[in-house]
Amino acid sequence: MAYTITDLCIGCGMCKLVCPVVAIEGQPRKDHRILAARCIDCGACGRICPQAAVKDPSGRVCQRIRLRRRWPKPRISEAACIGCTVCVQSCPTSCLGLTAPGGSRESVRKAVLVSPKACIGCGFCAADCPVGAIEMINPEPF
Amino acid sequence: MELGCTGKILVVDLTTGRIRPQAVENAVYENFLSGLGLGAWYLYHNIASHADPLGPENVLGFVAGVLTGSGSLFAGRWLVVGKSPLTGCWGEANAGGAFAPAIKQCGFDAIFFSGISPRPVYLFADGNRAELRDAADLWGLDAGAAEARLAEMHTGRKRPRIACIGPAGERQSLIAGVVHDGGRLAARAGLGAVMGAKRLKAVVLAGSQRIKVYDRPGVVRLSRELSATVQNQPPFVSGKVAAYLGRLVRALPAQMETDGLLYKMILRKWGTVGMNQMSIEMGDAPVQNWRGTHHDFDLDTSAALAPDVFTRPVVAKYFCYSCPLGCGALVEGAPGTPPAHRPEYETAMALGPLCLNADAESIFRMNEMLNQAGMDSISAGATIAFAMECYEHGLITRDDTDGLELTWGNSTAMVTLIDKMIRREGIGDLLADGSRVAARRIGAGSERFAVHAGGQELPMHDSRFDPGFALHYAVEPAPGRHTVGSLLYYEMFQLWRQIEGLPGPSRFYLKRSKYDTDVEKARMAAACSQFVNLINAAGLCLFGAFLGVHRLPVFQWLDAVSGQPRPPADYLRIGANIQTARQAFNFRQGVDPLAIQVSDRALGRPPQSRGANKGRSVAVEKLVGEYFQQFGWDRRTGQPRKSILEKIGL
Repeated sequence: MAYTITDLCIGCGMCKLVCPVVAIEGQPRKDHRILAARCIDCGACGRICPQAAVKDPSGRVCQRIRLRRRWPKPRISEAACIGCTVCVQSCPTSCLGLTAPGGSRESVRKAVLVSPKACIGCGFCAADCPVGAIEMINPEPF
Repeated sequence: MELGCTGKILVVDLTTGRIRPQAVENAVYENFLSGLGLGAWYLYHNIASHADPLGPENVLGFVAGVLTGSGSLFAGRWLVVGKSPLTGCWGEANAGGAFAPAIKQCGFDAIFFSGISPRPVYLFADGNRAELRDAADLWGLDAGAAEARLAEMHTGRKRPRIACIGPAGERQSLIAGVVHDGGRLAARAGLGAVMGAKRLKAVVLAGSQRIKVYDRPGVVRLSRELSATVQNQPPFVSGKVAAYLGRLVRALPAQMETDGLLYKMILRKWGTVGMNQMSIEMGDAPVQNWRGTHHDFDLDTSAALAPDVFTRPVVAKYFCYSCPLGCGALVEGAPGTPPAHRPEYETAMALGPLCLNADAESIFRMNEMLNQAGMDSISAGATIAFAMECYEHGLITRDDTDGLELTWGNSTAMVTLIDKMIRREGIGDLLADGSRVAARRIGAGSERFAVHAGGQELPMHDSRFDPGFALHYAVEPAPGRHTVGSLLYYEMFQLWRQIEGLPGPSRFYLKRSKYDTDVEKARMAAACSQFVNLINAAGLCLFGAFLGVHRLPVFQWLDAVSGQPRPPADYLRIGANIQTARQAFNFRQGVDPLAIQVSDRALGRPPQSRGANKGRSVAVEKLVGEYFQQFGWDRRTGQPRKSILEKIGL
């Protein structure tokens, strides 16, 4: 399964720019299409499309979230995080990292959102966390 | 394609530069699962008989397990597989970090390399493309420097994960490994030399593909329960008390069944170095090239290598992917460099008591040199101990050692010697291929000082202390490894709780009963082999397995990932299939398993006259036939029967 682009596409190329795995092809002002074999179902194309031209794998039209800073972001519970690095590796844009070494043998480097601007709100980190230490939150509008 | 797997492998011919993805049939996953099993299946079919391990016909594989990326814990292990140039047998080396998920995120369960590249190259793959790129500028760099350079070169959205060789692999040292994450090694079997011979400097992976799982919430539910068990860490004894615990184990004539929870507590507090003094005291760690005892490296001496000494410079724990334990540790690096990896138990013992070296600072230094060069610290330490004994007996002199005083415990000479081994310079060139090759070159009866199994230097677990190790050192298709089985491991795995018919050990037993050669020992060893093969096919960590199958839900995870529940015994049969494939691989390569000998010293021949293992010898040959029979192989020769091979598609 993969996301698809409908004929509402105007070829603005926003989806192509945001896609973290180069799964979208198309020329400017021409219809774009998603290569199913490459698509990782992150949904970023759907969140950015100004034409509501993207459907998710179940066929629902994706809702645009106009301002990227309002896209869902991971909230990591430091107390629950065990430092296993699963989320860091799951993230397709490497926007998660680890805290700096604490300087002792007890120090555990916890997961932290190091590049909020790079986050595409895919939620893979939360879905993959083996201890449920991450939840996706919608940042409050200004 | 089984869920949890990608259903594809990447096949790279370095001679022609041809790269092609290849679909894997379902039957392969049914019989062998993934990870080690997939590697065994592929190498059995694709390496010509009697292949030169350093020639183009050898295949080097990087394999990831079925549970990696599924939400399971302890599922961050990957293996390098190939024909070992050190032993001539099946070769495998295991490592963690975050390279295992990176393989699968590129859309493959494994990547296999054949041929020899005309020039140094590295492979870059990101899920959309896979290409060989020029590595001329990287050739000659230390592993850490090469990794840093490659990371700078690949600044796409996804941070790349990198495995590479250092100068030891490039110079085809037969004890070279494959390095990842700034200095951790898939160390054993000399597979770094195979990578060097292929002129493959590195594998750089930056994919983001997702792993499909039948019941991810179910997997995560199991993981959360396990995590709670692992995180629960009662206040534990000090390092000094741990050492005295080892002394107590030595003194008592009886022992009780060991629960892996105790080992977990040690690992969580100190990492593997928590065992340093305890192992020396109880006779698990070999001393002075396996001829010494705790009398030669007493408690006052070993205090220099105490767990607290090794954890003092630590700045943070180091976790492999999906690990809830964090047994690794980072220490301050040299000025201007990232934190380095703290020595592990095997390294500390091989460069410590095995050479009568009590200088912890030198061990830290040598550890980092070996990590950056990509050389196996077990084999390097064991080879130095061999050289020291040769020097003591006058088989090599200062003229041969470029002026080095290779006396026991001379840490300054050891540091210089490691440097020479890495550079293959003078005496270093003589020793860079391990102790068996060095003994052949030196001659004059020096073979008796080379302690190995089938050419691979034995790890730091004395088979006179736990005779279960001896059987595995001798009969495994990859000889001389400590990460498969022993009597202690069998107790910790607790397989009898879920597999009907397997013997359960007594709660209390006399230590001398460990040396009885009854059929049960062979059954227990075979169960360990099968279970650890399954663990390696799943991509799990042995330290997780030590928690026991009643705590580590390996069978339940596999059920939840595939959506096709099977009884635990069926999973163990997959482990048996993998063992058969590896054994058949050895036969195809002309290896006679009965010719794989464990050095007499490690078997207590003659027995030691003092120390924890005083008077002990291990009659390993009495169990070999029984062990073979557990897999349905020919009892006399160890050869898998044709009917068994056909049944599993070999």
